[in-house]
Amino acid sequence: MKFFCLLFFSALHLPAAEPIIFDNLPLGSEESPLILRTYMPDPDLDPAYFAHHGTGANSPKYNPGKGDDVGGEYKPIKGLPATIGVNHGPALSYAFDTIECRIAYSWQGGFLDMYPYWGDPERGNRLKYNYVPHLVGILFHKADPISKIHIDGKPFTELADPKYIGYDMKDGSPVFRFSRGGHEFSMSILPNKETPLSFNLAISSPTVKSITYGDDVSTRSGNVMKRTITGTRIATFQGFPRDTKIKEATVANGQLLFDSLGCSACHSIDGSLGHGPTLAGLYDSERMIEESKKPIKADTAYLLESIKTPNAKTAKTFPQNYMPPYKLSDPEYQSLVLFIQSVAKGE
Amino acid sequence: MKTNKVFSLRSLCDLCASAVKILSLATLATLASAGSFKDSYKLENIKLPEGIPPEVGGLAFDPEGELYVCLRRSDVFRATPTSNPDEFDWKLFASGFHNGCGIVAPEPGKIVVSQMAELTSAQDTDGDGLADSYRNLADGWGLSGNYHETNDVCSDGKGGYFLAIGTASYNGPTFEHTKGEYSKIGRRGRNFSSVKYRGWIMHLDKDGTLTPWASGFRMHNGITTDPDGETWCSDNQGDWKAITPFYHIEKGNFYGHPSSLVWDKDWPADKDPLLTYRNDLDAYNKHRTKAAVLIPHGFCRSGAKPIIIPRDGSFGEYFAGQFILPDNNGTRLCRIMIEKVDGVYQGMATYLLEGGGLRSGNNRPVFSPDGKQLYIGQTVRGWGKPAEGLQRLSFSGGTPFDLATINITKDGFRLNFTKTIPELKADDIQISSATYQPRWTYGSGPDGKRDHKVTSIKTDGKQSATISLEDFEPERLYEIKLPSLKDSDGNEIHNRTFYYTVHKIPGA
Repeated sequence: MKFFCLLFFSALHLPAAEPIIFDNLPLGSEESPLILRTYMPDPDLDPAYFAHHGTGANSPKYNPGKGDDVGGEYKPIKGLPATIGVNHGPALSYAFDTIECRIAYSWQGGFLDMYPYWGDPERGNRLKYNYVPHLVGILFHKADPISKIHIDGKPFTELADPKYIGYDMKDGSPVFRFSRGGHEFSMSILPNKETPLSFNLAISSPTVKSITYGDDVSTRSGNVMKRTITGTRIATFQGFPRDTKIKEATVANGQLLFDSLGCSACHSIDGSLGHGPTLAGLYDSERMIEESKKPIKADTAYLLESIKTPNAKTAKTFPQNYMPPYKLSDPEYQSLVLFIQSVAKGE
Repeated sequence: MKTNKVFSLRSLCDLCASAVKILSLATLATLASAGSFKDSYKLENIKLPEGIPPEVGGLAFDPEGELYVCLRRSDVFRATPTSNPDEFDWKLFASGFHNGCGIVAPEPGKIVVSQMAELTSAQDTDGDGLADSYRNLADGWGLSGNYHETNDVCSDGKGGYFLAIGTASYNGPTFEHTKGEYSKIGRRGRNFSSVKYRGWIMHLDKDGTLTPWASGFRMHNGITTDPDGETWCSDNQGDWKAITPFYHIEKGNFYGHPSSLVWDKDWPADKDPLLTYRNDLDAYNKHRTKAAVLIPHGFCRSGAKPIIIPRDGSFGEYFAGQFILPDNNGTRLCRIMIEKVDGVYQGMATYLLEGGGLRSGNNRPVFSPDGKQLYIGQTVRGWGKPAEGLQRLSFSGGTPFDLATINITKDGFRLNFTKTIPELKADDIQISSATYQPRWTYGSGPDGKRDHKVTSIKTDGKQSATISLEDFEPERLYEIKLPSLKDSDGNEIHNRTFYYTVHKIPGA
């Protein structure tokens, strides 16, 4: 499996850094991650995480027509004000927080749905109040209130005065630089191709003696630490819930969903390679899957299962956990199946 | 030269009437417009890369003449401008900026972008055409999570920068966890300052020291420094901004929008500036610094980033050294002339261009290095109906017929035109004046509006007319309306309405 994956990834020519287009589901690629600084969602991070943030509060509701308070209060909403979102395609996304100088959280299988913030191309309207972009994919890691990374024996989070310096692009990916406790650090986060729900963390500082991770000293190498961080599925997100008003299962509705849910980021309809299997010729074909030595038939039941619980069966040579499960209505599931069937027939 | 050519053709027409019949209508139209604004200034749409949201948050030329366009969703493209507006060779240079609404390109291959949380430099250090080193130059202000808190940046001319730190809007929320300290008092109001230095101008010196410079801005969407090192900005008409102001910026001043005062070290803690000044306009008026120039609502709606017209005349000799103020909420570029009277800046406002194919959403102007072309970036997305893109206004020589400048005299104004004007009578010119009191309301109407009789008018037989007014008083905004005037080639004057903000009357 590992061998297959490596072959697969080295053979696949992923595009170089692509500019943002009119697409509210932007994605980078494994080698050329998309770096997007934006307001980002707060997936219920521990309050202690926000040690160096300001604390918002309810505030009196003000009527600009009257020039006075009118009773009631505004409530602050959840969101991260100063994070950098990085996306390596379906393999890995993470939020680097320039205030705490930490990885706030990481997820896999998608990036951000920018629709609430960027709006649709025609009207360009953000949502009035809840405009924070939504996550897409499987959240598998959130920052611990007290960091497991230890600097000279002390939790990283106890080092005072985090100060974000910037980042350098190295081999197409960012290496973040910041200072804490008077030490300057470099940090890189890269996808781990072998273990699902993981990333590879490298952190170094020229002026500290040791960097360790919890009780594990195996990764210790003086002032450099390299380690795979593996999480577990915390939650699954499928972007901003669009009211598609689909009541009837049709091929056209299936195409609408295929476009609006961002399926095309991974699944081509013309046979070309992608992060997930192409839909061209998929329906009714014989498929090799990881979980069985014999091929199985990609019938209607298989297609439905692959949308509802994508990791129940994994197509050979494709990684697990790249596709989040999608919760849709029955006519929506059926529309997608009809669309996939129509692609296979070349309609 | 163009005039001579027109004259000779016209003479020919006079001599041979039948020749008129063989001239196409289009040719006639061209002849009639010779010497008009369109003859001297050509407007074009510049094509940006296909499929890219053309939301222009910032524009800059680097010292080698490369044009950088900062788009609000993330990316900065650059190109070497070509004469064909469709053939710019756009290449992605840098990306990842959060609503970058200001850009400076101090060196080839290096940009400085004011994004929401930070002023960031991005540099191509290995010469491959893509920025690879991103550095936080300054972030000593807050970010509440509100969508409206965009910033602009300009060079201070000494290796540092001025930043206009935009406020939040009550049309959006703030977050549970903010960047920097949160002020509940600063949160009150229509446009508000719940985190540090929103509604301020900050100065970052070349050594990296960030200083709060001036307060009192509602949404100063754009800032500029002139070749003398003087700093100027506008503000958006609305609460505490009666009409569109154009400010000369000096350190320590308060420019009239109270919310930002919660971050003033000299303002008492726990004192609500908005309620304080709502209830005490006298104290408010003593505290605030007035705009050098005011422009009534409707004539300009949302002043954006100003820019000075090259002083060497490369964009037309008569407008040299004046300012252009783009209107983000109209198809307008205002033209502002400043003069200093008894040590106080004041002056005149009219249009450089209104309509004529100009988009709305005018946000960021920049001149090409030769000063002959003005690039105008447009964006409204997220604030109003989208009007996005990039246009270019090119000067090709010649002189359009217009009123170039107005100088104040002890009892009125001297009007200076770009061409010889006919004799004018006193009642040809309509003049009225009013005052405008900023308050908590969304804009303010005129107070004490009155007409001024023109008591005398003298034309010098050339390009100037001097008028004397009845009841000429300082601290009023004068509206000057001209009659329909034509130059000797029959061109209608480009502007007929002018506003002069009188703070001081010389010799008074």
